[in-house]
Amino acid sequence: MNSATAALLVWILSSPSSSGHDKGKGWPTHMACSGGGLEVFYQSCDPLQDFGLSIDQCSKHIQQNLNIRFGIILREDIRKLFLDIALVAKGSSVVNFSYPICEEDQPKFSFCGKRKGEQIYYAGPVNNLGLDVPQGEYQVLLELYNENRATVACANATVVCS
Amino acid sequence: MAPDTGCFFLVALFSASCQVITSSDQMCIEKEANKTYNCENLGLSEIPGTLPNSTKCLEFSFNFLPTIQNTTFSRLVNLSFLDLTRCQIYWIHEDTFQSQHQLDTLVLTANPLIFVAETALNGPKALKHLFFIQTGISSLDFIPGHNLKHLESLHLGSNHISSIKLPKDFPAEKLKVLDFQNNAIHYLSTEDVGSLQLATDLNLNLCGNDITGIEPGAFKSTVFQSLNFGGTLKLLGIFQGLRNSTVESLWLGTFEDIDDGDELSSAMFEGLCEMSVESINLQKHHFLDISSNTFHCFTGLRELDLTATHLKELPAGIVGLRKLKKLVLSANKFENLCQISAANFPSLTHLSIKGNTKRLDLGTGCLEYLENLRELDLSHDDIETSDCCNLQLKNLSHLQNLNMSYNEPLGLRSEAFKECPQLELLDLAFTRLRVNAPQSPFQNLHLLKVLNLSHCFLDTSNQQLLNGLPALRHLNLQGNHFPNGNIQRTNLLQTLGSLEILILSLCDLSSIDQQAFLSLKTMSHVDLSQNKLTSSSIEALGHLKGLHLNLASNHISVIPANLLPILSQQSTINLRQNPLDCTCSNIYFIEWYKENLQKLEDEEDTLCANPPLLRGVRLSEVTLSCGITAVGIFLLIVVLLLFAVLVIFAVKYFLRWKYQHI
Repeated sequence: MNSATAALLVWILSSPSSSGHDKGKGWPTHMACSGGGLEVFYQSCDPLQDFGLSIDQCSKHIQQNLNIRFGIILREDIRKLFLDIALVAKGSSVVNFSYPICEEDQPKFSFCGKRKGEQIYYAGPVNNLGLDVPQGEYQVLLELYNENRATVACANATVVCS
Repeated sequence: MAPDTGCFFLVALFSASCQVITSSDQMCIEKEANKTYNCENLGLSEIPGTLPNSTKCLEFSFNFLPTIQNTTFSRLVNLSFLDLTRCQIYWIHEDTFQSQHQLDTLVLTANPLIFVAETALNGPKALKHLFFIQTGISSLDFIPGHNLKHLESLHLGSNHISSIKLPKDFPAEKLKVLDFQNNAIHYLSTEDVGSLQLATDLNLNLCGNDITGIEPGAFKSTVFQSLNFGGTLKLLGIFQGLRNSTVESLWLGTFEDIDDGDELSSAMFEGLCEMSVESINLQKHHFLDISSNTFHCFTGLRELDLTATHLKELPAGIVGLRKLKKLVLSANKFENLCQISAANFPSLTHLSIKGNTKRLDLGTGCLEYLENLRELDLSHDDIETSDCCNLQLKNLSHLQNLNMSYNEPLGLRSEAFKECPQLELLDLAFTRLRVNAPQSPFQNLHLLKVLNLSHCFLDTSNQQLLNGLPALRHLNLQGNHFPNGNIQRTNLLQTLGSLEILILSLCDLSSIDQQAFLSLKTMSHVDLSQNKLTSSSIEALGHLKGLHLNLASNHISVIPANLLPILSQQSTINLRQNPLDCTCSNIYFIEWYKENLQKLEDEEDTLCANPPLLRGVRLSEVTLSCGITAVGIFLLIVVLLLFAVLVIFAVKYFLRWKYQHI
């Protein structure tokens, strides 16, 4: 065995994670929805846990007030809960915005006020605006966090519109 | 040899950072020495041996304890707070907490409990807070009640409970909070409510239970601090059931994910005429049709919250709200402020209309009947006006707090708040202000104490901008820019003689004149973080003592010796994230730093940037030896001696050569 093969062997053995999955040790990539020319994939970027998400009625003409299903274990109390969305297309940032979901003076959803440790299953509307997605591939970073900026959920999503 | 040094280095490293307790591969975080430890998410199946016996607060959630029994915690006799959230606990056996006499709070949220032994909770002398959220229980009998005489709060959310009835002999005398959120309770009988009789001033939470009926008279002559029926659709039944009760605060709001129930009508509120309520929340409901008669049973009410109730206007001549003190109309759809018909609420002291979903036009004198108004919140409303705010806030002569932050550009002229001379707090953050040069918009606000002008795009070259604020204590100018990044000797702060707190972070400042703050004599807190200041700007603080001084994220590298006395006379200093110099040219500061560690904040983030060898090292850990060392002196002497010998030989040779050629 020459030294080049030995080096290759060592390299393969020492990096098993890079051979199987494309993203190394991260959580698996899931499909949130597919159909109507639109595909949405996501991967949890919270090192502690994965979560489940599915979006009803996938279409490149996104309808108003979509219904989703969402399941997660809470790592924090969510008396106050905020969502940050960052949309990137072709390497440049398109939109950044922050939206309150649960606040002391306006708990918008019935799950507001749940405690650390509880599991949440939410099936219902998300109160979004309708829009038509132009063809292309988009990267979306979604983050749910509480008033101490502690992560409740984090998702790296890819939206492919063909 | 090499591995040995490596081990030694590792040991030294761990002993240096004593905040971390190591136990093979798991580490609990010490939050307070010998008292508070966080062992979350470590997959532990027992209490680590490294935790001291004196531990008082233990956060142990997301570990693995299928069975807990009398040996599990026996060593930790001082425990007062124990969080066992989602530890996969199935069994709680006899006398589990027998030695925890001081246990005050026990969190068992999200454990799939199969059985809790009769004596499991014996031991604690005064257990006050108990969390049994999402433990799969369907009956309160599951919780052994005989050692709960001191219980103040019981959290039973997200279970399968269908009745609020407390078991016979369940001690409720001290109970203040009883939380049944998201259970399966659909009906409240007289017997159910009667079982709570012993508790006084109870806060009962039934949010997320679809209550469809209450037995008539069930709440007769009961007194509650608060009652929450959030998400309940049959409000008519609730109001009828609550007849003859007394409730301080009644929360009846609904949510976006709950299907619309009955639309609110005046007939629905009839029951209110026969009960006593101080405050009601009806968020996210739809009103069928608001007439002047809709609220006629609200006469005793002090606070009404109509957040996001899809309102476009309120009719004039509403009966029943003349005594109302606090009204929340946030997140509605008004187009003009006059559409709230403020004359309906002459006693109002607090009014909140924030986050209106349409651009809100303030109109003229729309609030002029609210003579008693003390607090007004008009933030996040897209308000835009070229001449604010005397016409808009006409006759609000008692107003103390005004929030107009997060709006569209406002044009302000001199004495823009003349109609509100009693203002004590004014928040205009993130609202662009248009003020023409010599104007003083805040003139004559003699009582104003707090002024937030962060990110207002101010014209800071206007020296008169902040004139007429003799009582101002707290000024936030974050995110405003100064000409050339410099605060000059004459500047807009000079008239603020009472200022105590000044925030100038993110102002893109690169220098401050030595005499810029000279007229500010009573300051206690100065925030200059996130600018481009160098150490020379510290001179501007020479006349101030006992400051909390934040200089984080600036361009400070060397602080010369003559500036150190200025730092010495302050009480707290933050120098985090500065490119600090750790060479001999900064030796005086480094020595001063190590002698004054008790004054320094965020010491763990105060690092060297130079020389490259010390980059990222904490300033407190740097040891420099500057000046001449022993080796240096020795070498110098040797060199001098050699030189002398050389000179002597040269002279000798020269003389010899000269004599030979005479």
